[in-house]
Amino acid sequence: METADRLGSGDRIELKFPARGDLIVLARLVTSAISARAGFDIEELEDLRLAVGELCLLTLQGSDAQHGDLHLELSVLGDAIEVVCTLERAQVATVPEPEGEEVARLSEQILDALVDEHGRESRDGSARAWLRKRRGGHAE
Amino acid sequence: MDQEFHIEQREGSTPPVIAVRGEIDVATAPQLRESLHSVIAQGEGTIVLDLLEVTFLDSTALGVLVGALKRCRELGGELHIVVADPRIVKIFEITGLTSVFTIADSLESAGPA
Repeated sequence: METADRLGSGDRIELKFPARGDLIVLARLVTSAISARAGFDIEELEDLRLAVGELCLLTLQGSDAQHGDLHLELSVLGDAIEVVCTLERAQVATVPEPEGEEVARLSEQILDALVDEHGRESRDGSARAWLRKRRGGHAE
Repeated sequence: MDQEFHIEQREGSTPPVIAVRGEIDVATAPQLRESLHSVIAQGEGTIVLDLLEVTFLDSTALGVLVGALKRCRELGGELHIVVADPRIVKIFEITGLTSVFTIADSLESAGPA
């Protein structure tokens, strides 16, 4: 890859899309591209692609996915990438999703295994989840 | 998206084989759930799920598989998973599901006739 294509510390990319499960693939695609340009190897890139999908799912958990937007911010910070996913303008779902609790538990397990740090919070009708992964820094 | 999602039930196999291709995520997992439940509703307790051509799988897909496994076991059966791609196997491993499901790396070793 040409040096001009590389992303360096301090670079930040934002993506905003309607909070629909079928559009989470966009977050995964962008994550792959950004991770490659930030110097992550193919295995780390695959880990990040899966992890960011789970981050989006956790953010959507319990929300009304027919409304609101998912706002993704990917930042290169030194040898790490930080991804923050925020659900904006959504409402709490009235109908529980099938296997919802099980899926959230599995998402947490996947994030525990694939990234260095992650967390989530819900406040004033908006949900936010984040992760951080270093290049070559996370051993299972 | 490496491959278009596709799901089919193979004709004439015992136990029934459901084969999936492409990415199983929050958008496509409901189709997998519907297929599995449809077979289970016919009284089939044991199912072989062929994931050999699956290129991506997330927690939503795993949730569907765990739900289907419970239904299979209620009928005295089992949900056999066939998976060979190390990236997909890794997802089962990190979630501890390799000890929950019967996992084989080929259809022959999963045992359908």
